[in-house]
Amino acid sequence: MPQLTGGRVLREALRGQAGRITGSALLSTGHQAGEAMVPVVIGVVVDRAVGTGSSSQLLLWLGVLGAVFLTLSFSFRFGARLGERAAEQAGHVLRVRLTDRVLDACGGADTGRLPGALASVATSDAGRVGMVALVLPLGVAGILGLAVGAVALLRVSLPLGLLVLLGTPLMMGLAHLLGRPLQRRSEVEQDRIAHTAGLAADMVGGLRVLKGIGAERAAAERYRLSSRAALTATVHAARAKSWHDGTLLAVNGLFLAVVALVGGRLAADGAISIGALIAAVGMAQYLIGPLSMLVWVNGELAQGRGSAVRIAEVLASPAAVGGDAPLTGPITGRLAVRGLTHGGLRDLDLDVTAGQLVGVVTADPAHAEALVDLLGREREPDSGTITLDGHDLSTLDPEAVRAALLVAAHDAELFEGTLRDNVLAPAADGSTVPRQRTAPATLTGQADTAADGPLTAAPAASGTDSLLGAALAASGADEVAATLAGGVDGALAERGRSLSGGQRQRVALARALAADAPVLVLHEPTTAVDAVTELRIVNGVRRLREGRTTVVITTSPALLAAADTVHFVADGALTASGTHEQLVREHTGYRATVLA
Amino acid sequence: MTEQRELLPTATGRQAVAALRALLRPRRWLAAAGLFVLTAATAVGLAVAPLLGHVVDLVTTGAPASAITTPVVALAVIAVLSGAATAYGLTLIARLGEGALAELRERFLNRALRLPLGQVERAGSGDLTSRAGNDLNAVASVVRSGLPELARSLLAIGLTLAGLAVLDWRFMAAALLAAPVQLYTVWWYGGRALPLYARQRIAVGAQQQQLLETIGGAPTVRALRRREEHLGRVTGRSQDAVDLTMRGVNLVTRFYARLNLAEFIGLSAVLATGFLLVRSGEVTIGAATAAALYFHNLFTPVNIALGLIDDVQAATAALVRIVGVADLPEPAAPPAARTPADASLHADAVSHSYTADRPVLHDVTIAVPAGQRVALVGASGAGKSTLAGLVAGVHQPTSGSIRVGGVGIGDLDPSGRRAVALITQEVYVFAGTLAEDLRLARPDATDAELTAALERVGAAEWATALPEGLSTVVGEGGHRLTAAQAQQLALARLVLADPAVAVLDEATAEAGSAGARVLEASVAAALHGRTGLLVAHRLTQAALADRVVVLDEGRIVESGSHDELRETPDGRYAELWRAWSGRRDADRAA
Repeated sequence: MPQLTGGRVLREALRGQAGRITGSALLSTGHQAGEAMVPVVIGVVVDRAVGTGSSSQLLLWLGVLGAVFLTLSFSFRFGARLGERAAEQAGHVLRVRLTDRVLDACGGADTGRLPGALASVATSDAGRVGMVALVLPLGVAGILGLAVGAVALLRVSLPLGLLVLLGTPLMMGLAHLLGRPLQRRSEVEQDRIAHTAGLAADMVGGLRVLKGIGAERAAAERYRLSSRAALTATVHAARAKSWHDGTLLAVNGLFLAVVALVGGRLAADGAISIGALIAAVGMAQYLIGPLSMLVWVNGELAQGRGSAVRIAEVLASPAAVGGDAPLTGPITGRLAVRGLTHGGLRDLDLDVTAGQLVGVVTADPAHAEALVDLLGREREPDSGTITLDGHDLSTLDPEAVRAALLVAAHDAELFEGTLRDNVLAPAADGSTVPRQRTAPATLTGQADTAADGPLTAAPAASGTDSLLGAALAASGADEVAATLAGGVDGALAERGRSLSGGQRQRVALARALAADAPVLVLHEPTTAVDAVTELRIVNGVRRLREGRTTVVITTSPALLAAADTVHFVADGALTASGTHEQLVREHTGYRATVLA
Repeated sequence: MTEQRELLPTATGRQAVAALRALLRPRRWLAAAGLFVLTAATAVGLAVAPLLGHVVDLVTTGAPASAITTPVVALAVIAVLSGAATAYGLTLIARLGEGALAELRERFLNRALRLPLGQVERAGSGDLTSRAGNDLNAVASVVRSGLPELARSLLAIGLTLAGLAVLDWRFMAAALLAAPVQLYTVWWYGGRALPLYARQRIAVGAQQQQLLETIGGAPTVRALRRREEHLGRVTGRSQDAVDLTMRGVNLVTRFYARLNLAEFIGLSAVLATGFLLVRSGEVTIGAATAAALYFHNLFTPVNIALGLIDDVQAATAALVRIVGVADLPEPAAPPAARTPADASLHADAVSHSYTADRPVLHDVTIAVPAGQRVALVGASGAGKSTLAGLVAGVHQPTSGSIRVGGVGIGDLDPSGRRAVALITQEVYVFAGTLAEDLRLARPDATDAELTAALERVGAAEWATALPEGLSTVVGEGGHRLTAAQAQQLALARLVLADPAVAVLDEATAEAGSAGARVLEASVAAALHGRTGLLVAHRLTQAALADRVVVLDEGRIVESGSHDELRETPDGRYAELWRAWSGRRDADRAA
């Protein structure tokens, strides 16, 4: 497979819309040609009808004018629609493709990139590449429009035609040259303006924090100062741009005077007709249109190319992990870590007996993170292996590994949707966007009553519902459901932000338990819950995971006390193993880490 | 679940107009000068067509070629004059628009920052953010590019019609035959575009939010193998946005098709009028030519002006959302702002419910003497965070009162130093330098004071190790801080804000167990010398407090010192302490 480059991303995006782009190019050309014909026909009407007084000629040429308008109007209407559809659809396809790449089981696309930056690639950059599908037909039409104008003019008069055709780009080039220093000055100011534009959203994003320390006034003042600086900058920029526009206008007018001078003299000498003179003057004005359009198209193409490069970089990110062997047969859940070196872990050996609840304590929290990343197949280890039932995880299909070994990370996210959809994956049909579930109608017609408790509000009972109930109870998330209007079918806001930290943590734990994986790894699952709930969770997890392998990476004494075995990792290597009681009694380092 | 949200208010058309008028009033002379200069520029430019007509007449009357020179020199002079006047006029209009825009965005942000948090949360975090981002940008872009274009186009249209009338009034009458079609088109379009744009905006916002959620949660999605589901969500929301955009495009293209019809009607009428008037000898061919050129030159300004209705509508949709927030009535100022007598904190018979039928706090009374520290303990959902929020003034209690130094929370002098500060587990780092971030808490702090605050919460070490120290750009797009560092930064802000009362809501939760121990030391240092209310889930924090209050289902079930409560037989706190540390005591004993 050839290297994925920006150019290839762009070509593929355009190829996907080839039909629409071609249609749009044809129709846009018709539109441009029509626009070019209007001044020509005006000239003919003056020449053949107004000048001669012939009614039949007037009617004939007004009829032609009508046909020209009909053509330009319809071709614009449908050409623009095809072009816009191509742009939007191309952007959409890229957006989905980027999301697909980011979510790929092998990971890698989100390594070292901020979510906000990635999302902006999927929106702004995808949109800009899409824009190429819109501007390309316009560029074609602009060039053809120029050609049509040129032919029409040259047929009327060779010298006048040449003057207009060569003079117009020359005139535009001159105006551009004169205006360039002004434009450059305006670009410098743009940066300062962009800064203020982002500042408002940033401050609003931190509203809770600002309010917490009463910094609303200071924030407003800081924004005001930035806004005033931006105002000065924009006014400077606008002044530069105004003089740029004014220059363009003046140069354009001067050029028109030259055309009138040459054309008028030719007409006075009888070399050309009055109609030709009028057409030439009209054309001198018309040509500015397609020419400035080409300049704009060129700018959009440059931006599109830049965006395509950024998209290609994301799509071509190296996979974080590999492996494609299937994992066959029933999983017993025996884990073995051998010589593992990664992110502070040094030559770590560790065994997890199948069916046990095992605690892992790391003296350095960063080592726990490293272990979680490796078990979750987010990273490949620098060296060493982790095996599940004797199979090296690095050789297995990551998807298969995760089906057998679920890692519930400490910073796992919740998603917008109902509590039920968060805990159980929604129905297999993955195409549905989250929607309001209809709560079951009761006899009284009241759909949600808090008194019903969380679980009775659930739709018809099924196997998944008993799983849901068990997971919610074991994680203490049943209490969360009880606080939601609608119980388990109550809605959570984006990222579960409508819940408190402790509530989010319990829902995330319920979700991990409900996945019913042969091996479950929990990373600090109870940091944000109170002591009573934590004890309830410990008992619930123990009961629900009875007979299946569960690894808890934590420093919480309540969780560790419930473990069959505890491994203590200090300085990145296994230092001691035993029960919590034994380790507390015998190992100073362990005691210091767990019982601060 | 957009349906369930209670969006922030949007202004009515009348309110928006009033807001615009208020912005323009102090700038009316600037507006008048700008309009005058642009009018002059346009008027001068209008002489071009009759001069060209004059050239045509010279040719038809068989004048010598040299006679062409005079009108051509006039054309050149006009070109320079109208270019200069246009540039100056546009500069004036830009000063007008940008000044008004700056005032509008400052008023918006000033008001937005003082919105009650509860209201912002009910609307969903995206609502206010999209107003501060997209909507402000939409209005700015119209002011920046739309306003000058609109002014020029309207002037060109008006003066061209006048020019036609000067040639012969019948030319103007013919040109105006296009107007009914144009007016109808604008009316037809206006009624459809605004609601469509509003829906499109919402769909684009939903798409953005979904992308952020899915991409931000990518490791979670992978771990749970929910790729298909999330791909489906993103695809669905993106396609919704695309489809709505296309409906907008269809509308716009039909709009322009109708304007083409108007162009044809007007142009044919002007040409036919010229034909008749020339045949009856009332005008010259040159005048007829000028009229036709005039009308043809109207195509562009008419399209620009009417096409801007598109942008103006979009900006109007954005403007009503901005004005809706900016013009929210100010909360009633306390009748007599008072300064707290001391740093004591009293909550008397406080009850609260977010939704009418779901009370979360019942009749809670707590007194914290100045300088003391009270820990709130209880199961998650017992109402601890709610109480913390009420004390910090984030929400108004449904009933009961909260007083600081004897002054009701609502009667505190809002201009003075903040009496109560709240720090939650939510960490946020503002875009800008570290120093700017800290100075939000105390704008006039010196660098030494900033460093001292960082030192106090144990953050000086990493802060000075940053590439440019206090001047390092942090936050969005800058240097990334860890959760624990960000929380220490929040505590340093607390030290700088120096409130008499500090409320800490699980301020150590995000850091995980190991980080929590470091943060506990930072918290203790930040709280030194203040009255403190702490929501604690780690009982070590409770044990260090002067008093512990146990909440259960929104009620105080126990209150006393750590030692008292620990010894209470069958007490809730005693049970908690055993659950949390019982093993530990046993471990130690063993």
